[in-house]
Amino acid sequence: MNLQRYFAQEAPFFKALPALLWQTLFLWIPLTFLFIISFLKQDGLGWVFTLDSYREIFDSSHIRIILRSLLLAIYNSFVCLILAYPMAYAIVFKIKKLKNLALFLLTLPFWVNFLVHIYAWFFVLEYHGLLNSILQFIGIINEPLRLMNSWFAVMVVMVYAYLPFLVLPVYSALEKLDVRLIEASMDLGASHLKTFFKIILPLSFNGAKLGFFLVFVMSFGEFVIPTLMGGGKHMFVGTLIWQYFLTDQNMSLGSAFTALSGCFLILVLLFINWLAKLLVPYNYVHK
Amino acid sequence: MFISKDFDMIKKFRVSWDLFLPIFVGLTYLFLYVPIIILVAFSFNNSLSSYKWNGFTFEWYKELFSSSQIWTALTNSLIVALSSVFLCLLISLLAIWCLLRKKYKLFDYFSSIVLIPEIAIAVSLLTLFTFLKIPLGLNTLIVGHTLLGLGFSFPIIYNAFKDVNKLLIEASLDLGASMRQTFFRIVLPILYPAFFSAALLVFILSIDDFLISFFCTGPTSQTLSLYIFAMIRGGLSPVVNALSTLILIFSSVCVLLYSFITLKMER
Repeated sequence: MNLQRYFAQEAPFFKALPALLWQTLFLWIPLTFLFIISFLKQDGLGWVFTLDSYREIFDSSHIRIILRSLLLAIYNSFVCLILAYPMAYAIVFKIKKLKNLALFLLTLPFWVNFLVHIYAWFFVLEYHGLLNSILQFIGIINEPLRLMNSWFAVMVVMVYAYLPFLVLPVYSALEKLDVRLIEASMDLGASHLKTFFKIILPLSFNGAKLGFFLVFVMSFGEFVIPTLMGGGKHMFVGTLIWQYFLTDQNMSLGSAFTALSGCFLILVLLFINWLAKLLVPYNYVHK
Repeated sequence: MFISKDFDMIKKFRVSWDLFLPIFVGLTYLFLYVPIIILVAFSFNNSLSSYKWNGFTFEWYKELFSSSQIWTALTNSLIVALSSVFLCLLISLLAIWCLLRKKYKLFDYFSSIVLIPEIAIAVSLLTLFTFLKIPLGLNTLIVGHTLLGLGFSFPIIYNAFKDVNKLLIEASLDLGASMRQTFFRIVLPILYPAFFSAALLVFILSIDDFLISFFCTGPTSQTLSLYIFAMIRGGLSPVVNALSTLILIFSSVCVLLYSFITLKMER
């Protein structure tokens, strides 16, 4: 009887079941499964527990690949942040009439297949491409530079592909900001700089942080841009995972490596979060 | 005197900042659009070369439309995208309905999927499917894309639902409407714009998605992204330019439509 009443009371909850089930079944269970597999090894027909895969990947070459990916992610998210913040600031506070158009032009690349963006850069960075032509025209260089298949190409295209992901969160944080606060700060005699550092920056900090983490996580696992732009010269986490799973078909090693790089990622994210709290100790919440 | 000096400095800072910002914004837009403009221009180039302009032509578009592979890829992509949109909206709708009477904290975790690298999701899905011996194909793609889409569609609709005036719901219930009536007549119409933007976002995410498609697809089910990837790997070809230009136009129309409809609905 009690049980029946309980079910009647909680009936609405069952409508949410598909959502929760989908999330559990296809996200949390597979991730756990991946973690478990990293401790197993195929032995004949069955699976045995072993730490072999971890022993195999815990060497300097693998760690170097993880560190390289982390470096790329740190570089990319910082450069995107430095470019995105003034952009969002200008759109919100300076371009008033054409704000919607400016935002539209900025988000348009985000809606286009990102392989198309990468492809577009071939024409700029090629041996006879736009950048070399311009540099030659100005007279900075005599011979075209080999820009493709280099770190330079990877770094430029990474920023290009991920910039919108950082502009949007910062934009929405600045958009929500109460203009009266800025006016009050100026009226009370604070300079522009002081207003910026005491009012605008802390109030948009959470948006910036969200975008930063978003770009960080995505660029850590990125594997298309290094493959197409870097010419596969340098291994990154994404490339190696791809190789383990699809080329070598070695699930144990692949999942161990995925788990290890995931641990690195989480540690670095926690560290950055701690650092951010240290730098900007405010935590204002918008109402 | 001290104050005036300080003031001068601020003024100087203001002037340089006012000069710097427009230049910076202009350069960033240039950075964003120059590659795309060149890409579009070369889709009309009457030559296989990727750096010399040799007259105007529609030849590459003709070649693109006569290729049968692209149409299969496009149909596959559309099947996957539309099914994921449908599933995402249905699942989100049910979940929101459940929130009508009671608050469950559980739902804050939905957006956490954004903070998991997509490659980890793709790889873990692949392991699960291979372990359970589920054949890879369009159905596995739909599962993956719906999972990805839910992480975006549910938070959008949930946030819109949080902004719904709760007095409206109470008034409706007080006046004798049932839960179902209240949901379908009061809450849902208010949430239409949110549902619309969620649908568009999931659609675009699914069409654009590369990583999950790359890992979780079978040999026979190629999607548009995979097709483009294969073509790019084969080197520069004006046909890819033509395809990219069409995708660009299609996406711009989508975004324009989206902004138009949301603006109209907000009024």
